[in-house]
Amino acid sequence: MTVYTCSPDLASILTCIYEAWNSRLGYRNVRLMTEPVGNLELFCDYCHVEPDTEKAASVTRSIQKKIGATAWRLVYLCAMSERSDAPDIIYRFLLYGFSYGKDTLHMLQEPAVFHAFEVSRQVTNEAHSFREFIRFANISSGFPILVSHISPKANVLTLVAPHFSDRLPSENWMILDDNRQLAVVHPADRPFYLTRLSPGEIERLSLTESTSDPYEELWKGFFTAIAIKERSNPDCQRTHLPLHCRDHMPEFKNL
Amino acid sequence: MQLSSQTLSLSEKLNLLADAAKYDVACTSSGVNRAGKQGHLGNSVSCGICHSFSSDGRCISLLKILQSNDCIYDCKYCVNRAGNDRQRATFTPEEVCTLVTEFYRRNYIEGLFLSSAVCKNPAHTMELMYRTLHLLRNRYRFNGYIHVKAIPGAPAELIEKTGYLADRMSVNLELPTGEGLQKLAPQKTQKAILKPMRQIQSGIVDYRLTAGKSAFLERSSGNRYLSHSIFDTRKQISASAADLGWISSSSARSLPEKERSAPFVPAGQSTQMIIGATKENDYQLLSTSQLLYQQYDLKRVFYSAYIPVNEDSALPSRETKPPLLREHRLYQADWLLRFYGFQADELLDEAHPNFHAQLDPKCDWALRHMELFPVEINTAEYADLLRVPGIGPKSAMRILKSRRSSHLSFEHLKKIGVVLKRAKYFITCEGKMMYHMRLEQQFLTRQLTGEEAASNWEVSHPEQYQQLSLFDAAVPGHI
Repeated sequence: MTVYTCSPDLASILTCIYEAWNSRLGYRNVRLMTEPVGNLELFCDYCHVEPDTEKAASVTRSIQKKIGATAWRLVYLCAMSERSDAPDIIYRFLLYGFSYGKDTLHMLQEPAVFHAFEVSRQVTNEAHSFREFIRFANISSGFPILVSHISPKANVLTLVAPHFSDRLPSENWMILDDNRQLAVVHPADRPFYLTRLSPGEIERLSLTESTSDPYEELWKGFFTAIAIKERSNPDCQRTHLPLHCRDHMPEFKNL
Repeated sequence: MQLSSQTLSLSEKLNLLADAAKYDVACTSSGVNRAGKQGHLGNSVSCGICHSFSSDGRCISLLKILQSNDCIYDCKYCVNRAGNDRQRATFTPEEVCTLVTEFYRRNYIEGLFLSSAVCKNPAHTMELMYRTLHLLRNRYRFNGYIHVKAIPGAPAELIEKTGYLADRMSVNLELPTGEGLQKLAPQKTQKAILKPMRQIQSGIVDYRLTAGKSAFLERSSGNRYLSHSIFDTRKQISASAADLGWISSSSARSLPEKERSAPFVPAGQSTQMIIGATKENDYQLLSTSQLLYQQYDLKRVFYSAYIPVNEDSALPSRETKPPLLREHRLYQADWLLRFYGFQADELLDEAHPNFHAQLDPKCDWALRHMELFPVEINTAEYADLLRVPGIGPKSAMRILKSRRSSHLSFEHLKKIGVVLKRAKYFITCEGKMMYHMRLEQQFLTRQLTGEEAASNWEVSHPEQYQQLSLFDAAVPGHI
């Protein structure tokens, strides 16, 4: 068994798939995973793959041409997942994809296809929950800027940013992924961009979570007033809004 | 009682008027897709977005407030009735606008839900609400979702002008029958409530026809494959409605052309009813909803379990528990009407006027129609799959998609995410049932009620769950 490993970003994952495919070892004899590799197995060769834009682009092209745009979207979503077997899931999906073409998307009874489908759904669901639960704090240092901290499992920044750039086109805002040290920055009336943060920037930006915003108090008041005591149902609340989502939400601070 | 609202701070007013609005249901922000615009704030997404969940488990999507709680009416069930000794306050339009835009920028809310008590008179109240919306859309350049209540008795022109600024409008039906209304809200009449509802409907029809759409609101896409859903039969009903002069495209259009350019209530209108305050049975309630969907083309009907807030001889006693399970059943049945092609008289009739306490309406229906089961997964039509308890539009669609490429077995169904908990009793895969068992009503009822008991109990007793504690000293006689 040969295990191809790569770092968990899109270009590396696609290159990794390219290498696994190109090795001609056969799909039974390869496995793909993202680094860091936890438990090393005894009878496996580990082979690290460096990202290569050319190879990644050629994989992208083949997927779009042979299986279609919907399948490419599915692959992209899987690549954003935090799971260490994400490249493997994509690889197994592509095995079917390249032989059955567009029809693959309907073959949910094949475990490989269903797996990819399930992982992509987990990622979209998480991205959707951030559309709901992201909270901006207003920081004014000369001009107003909205800052939000999130700690998502999957890499959802590029999935939520288009939503907010449509919604708040003329505001300065940024969303920071505390787990990955990535940020989406949107200057007012201009397109947003993705950027990696330096440790210094992270430290400065982490202060924004403790500054107080007068509207947070108003919002907390509203949040308490709107609940009906006679219908109190914390279980139902927890189903819709799990505890791990509440870390960055002002209405659950010091409750 | 006559505390002047001038002395209240913004935060006190917000708490007061949100608290007064909390009994309004329908905090949805769905039904309209609108892209953002540069220089404006906000957009709208047709699936709707919830932004938080309050401790009663209800979603918070919109900033739900009253413009004023200073009411001249004395409806017996309402917290804001004139006879109650409560602090009264009224928001100025600017205050509402500031709250909406500042909350919206921080992604706390999806838009505004503006209702109001009748302050001075209906015309004054509606005018105030119109001014709020006008300011919000034009000066504050707010492009997000707005749901506004139409006040019965307000001038038609004001309601129309408001409709061009809002995404959804609603008129509260309050109680399902005219007699109930007479008894509990003597200052309101059903005729006065239905009038603005009809006006809004004809406004929507006008707008939709001029925009080149069909006269009726879009419904769930699955309804295309259903042969006798409630929305199918409405075509004949509305044809006769046009004869009766209910819908007329030449209705009084008082506004000049340029003010009419915006979409009129694009997300449709809704209404809400209180259940459990009067003696109606579920059959009457559900039939009323169906009529409202068919004749007024409402997007949604909401049900709100009666919560006793006032002491009155005409009302149930203060100790009454809100009928949460009944509310839950009505919502389940409402979904069956709108997404599953059921009609009210299939689910209930004079002989069974109320829903089964232990079984959901679809299971209950299926057990009374065992002659239609089992359904063969590999050949059944979409409409028949939808009637199987435990299979909804999503599962049914997935089954249709997957069976194109191969025959499906129970293992496959599990893999594609079809939940078999209830469905297993009613389906076959390639002629075989999942377990060897008798398809017999008595036996299945016992099986299904056993499985549902726990979750039903949770719905009706949301707060009484308690973890047993090993070291609980509160047991009398032990310490």
